[in-house]
Amino acid sequence: MTKAYSRFITILFCGFIGGMFFLSLLLPDRERSETENRLLAQWPEFSWETLKSGEFTDGVEEYIADQFPLRDAWTGVKARVEQLIGKTEFNDVYLAGDTLISKVETPDSALVDKNFGYIQSMADKTDAKVHLGLIPSAAEIWRDRLPAGAYSWDQTLLLEMAEKTGLNTVDFLTALKEHAGEEIFYRTDHHWTTLGAYYGYVAIMEALGRGNEVLSMDSFTPEVVTTAFDGTLYSNSGIHWLKSDKMEYWVKEDGLTVTSWRTGKEEIASLYDRSYLSVKDKYSSFLGGNQPLCVIRNENAAGGKLMIIRDSYTDSVAPFLAQHFSEVHLLDLRQYRASMVNYARENVIDDILVMYSVPNFITDVNMVFMGL
Amino acid sequence: MVFSSLTFMFAYLVVTLAVYFAAPLRWRNLVLLIVSLFFYGWGEPVYILIMFLSTVIDYTHGLLVEKYRHDDKKARWFVGQSVVFNLLLLGFFKYYDFIVTNLSLIPGIDIEPLGIPLPIGISFFTFQTMSYTIDVYRKDAPAQRNIVNFGAFVTMFPQLIAGPIVKYKTVAEDLNHRVYTTENFALGVRRFCVGFAKKVLLANSVGALWDASLAAQGDGTLTVVGGWLGLLAYTFQIYFDFSGYSDMAIGLGQVFGFRFEENFNYPYQANSITDFWRRWHISMGSWFREYLYIPLGGNRGGTMKALRNTFIVWLATGIWHGASWNFILWGLYFGVLLVLEKYVLRNALAKMPMILKHMYTLFLVMVGWGLFAIEDLGRCGAYLKICFGGGELWSAANGYDLRSYLATLVILAVSSTTLGRTVWHRLPEKVQKVATPVLMLTSLLIGTAYLVSGSYNPFLYFRF
Repeated sequence: MTKAYSRFITILFCGFIGGMFFLSLLLPDRERSETENRLLAQWPEFSWETLKSGEFTDGVEEYIADQFPLRDAWTGVKARVEQLIGKTEFNDVYLAGDTLISKVETPDSALVDKNFGYIQSMADKTDAKVHLGLIPSAAEIWRDRLPAGAYSWDQTLLLEMAEKTGLNTVDFLTALKEHAGEEIFYRTDHHWTTLGAYYGYVAIMEALGRGNEVLSMDSFTPEVVTTAFDGTLYSNSGIHWLKSDKMEYWVKEDGLTVTSWRTGKEEIASLYDRSYLSVKDKYSSFLGGNQPLCVIRNENAAGGKLMIIRDSYTDSVAPFLAQHFSEVHLLDLRQYRASMVNYARENVIDDILVMYSVPNFITDVNMVFMGL
Repeated sequence: MVFSSLTFMFAYLVVTLAVYFAAPLRWRNLVLLIVSLFFYGWGEPVYILIMFLSTVIDYTHGLLVEKYRHDDKKARWFVGQSVVFNLLLLGFFKYYDFIVTNLSLIPGIDIEPLGIPLPIGISFFTFQTMSYTIDVYRKDAPAQRNIVNFGAFVTMFPQLIAGPIVKYKTVAEDLNHRVYTTENFALGVRRFCVGFAKKVLLANSVGALWDASLAAQGDGTLTVVGGWLGLLAYTFQIYFDFSGYSDMAIGLGQVFGFRFEENFNYPYQANSITDFWRRWHISMGSWFREYLYIPLGGNRGGTMKALRNTFIVWLATGIWHGASWNFILWGLYFGVLLVLEKYVLRNALAKMPMILKHMYTLFLVMVGWGLFAIEDLGRCGAYLKICFGGGELWSAANGYDLRSYLATLVILAVSSTTLGRTVWHRLPEKVQKVATPVLMLTSLLIGTAYLVSGSYNPFLYFRF
């Protein structure tokens, strides 16, 4: 190597590592990542204790990784390279053509048994009718779209177990399978679309014995509220080159009163919180996202009080159900931590629907509050 | 801290290089000592004490050995002390729990294991410091009078935690006097980029395939094809992981003015097991040869003695890799193979066509990695049994894995051979000059992307 060339190579290397170093010093620390939808690690507080335990140095490493300049772009580069060398799985997300599908791992059977047990014991204690609705995710409904031989746990096994509880179940599998050719799940997010939620609503009404009331699709006028929705799978996979999803609102707000406890205290809210449409987490615009408790009242409804023990799939189906029930109560066990039986009694609930997506049901560890 | 981390690349290394090269020549060993202690203490600050202890004791012993050079008995006594100290250090931290757990299997004995974490790199630095007093005794190197220089040798961060095992005599001169040139720096960082790509891009990405086979074994869905696919993945993973790390170490050494010896020489291109061990982890093999096999008498003194010495060395090699029975088995497995090659198979091997020799070697090496990789002997046996026909032939999941990893495996296979090097040397100089910075940047950019995404970055040789 000539001296000039050696100098060039040296500057190239030092310029790269030094450049990134100074860039991370100069750029202000970010509080949270929109893309990843989580808080980012901040510089850890120093103490001799945390130094000795290794907590401090771990904290620094996390800080450096989380605050690394252009973090999202780097993740995208990796996904591109992996795609180039023939990978179809990206951080537990399968790339199937223009669609991202989240892989479902084999569940811990002890946890699943426990969760079913809690529901059983709630059914034994309450006077309300208990229904069970487990929503198979895209990995099941669109199994034929997965890369050949790609693994995803057989979710019908869980549905069979649900049947065996003897409770009345909602047949989401058939309802969604029948329309598998339509856009019933987002391509970049793990939730069902409003269309998928509509089919879900039909299945619920039938299971509750009120199938005759179901509103036909033509009675709604879908409003496209955004065409720039990049969902959770977009974030997890690092695949940032697919077309964004569009999101629709079907149900009009008229005649409904929404009461939300999302700040911890009771407040008037709405079916849709449009402020979320301008941020990354657009799915949270349905009812304003995860919250301990939300009640939708409809004075003109045919009647009945429905309580749903929910995960986020419920938020887009609740507006439909609110057309028929005078009260729809949505409770989230991750935040509403008290006895479900008592709640149902105090609010004179007629029907309790335990509604979870399969991936959430097999991993949720908060269901103990149903057993109380 | 490991090299293949954002903290090392974009914070530690930047600051270290700046401080080191800003310091005047005579301060540089001190700077190296301080930054190396920082590097070592990053994960386990308390263990810096071991570094101090090791430095002081071996430093003193080196001086004592030299002082009593005229009195061989005394000199040997001090060499012995230093060796015993290092072996006790290693023995306590690495083997205490293993020994007491096994002893407790004997009725009437019940000793609690301590469960203390293994100080990183202890197997490497204890071997390096042992080489020091022995080298001084053998007059292969003069004793180091400056404790800062000696401390810099013991703690030197480029090779501290994963080798190569630097024998004192090979760096004795560099410690006192190093030559810095821009060319050395450039060659060093170029080598570092090669190692970085091997570790972060090649080793890490194929590691998931090995994990998939282990998981399949756990679920009871491992097939014959899956078993071999897993072994193949591990075979590649451990080579690119370890040799990549050695490349980074050698490159960094060169940046700081040290000349470390090579540690790998395309081991998967070996044509016999004997040849394989001349090409794999060379610094460890030569350590055992120089400081154990030859002192034991080597192959002088007849076949029986040579056999005994070979088995002692391979038992030690096995144990050195880990405190677990599978490593002992692994070491003995190679001991037996080497003896067989030397005394039984020699003629048969010589007559074999080259392609068969390579297949024979790779097959035995892969089975060896099976022994090496799964510590639980029961699981290990079950895994190998499936590989040898004790399961379904293949499953749809294997097809998926093969399709997903085909390109990766081809890249790894080609990178394991000298093909790339041959092609590189045939390129006109002009092309090399353009390709070098392009390839370096590719390694750095994509490697950084992988580190930032950071889902998968374990380091295999960390615990040895």
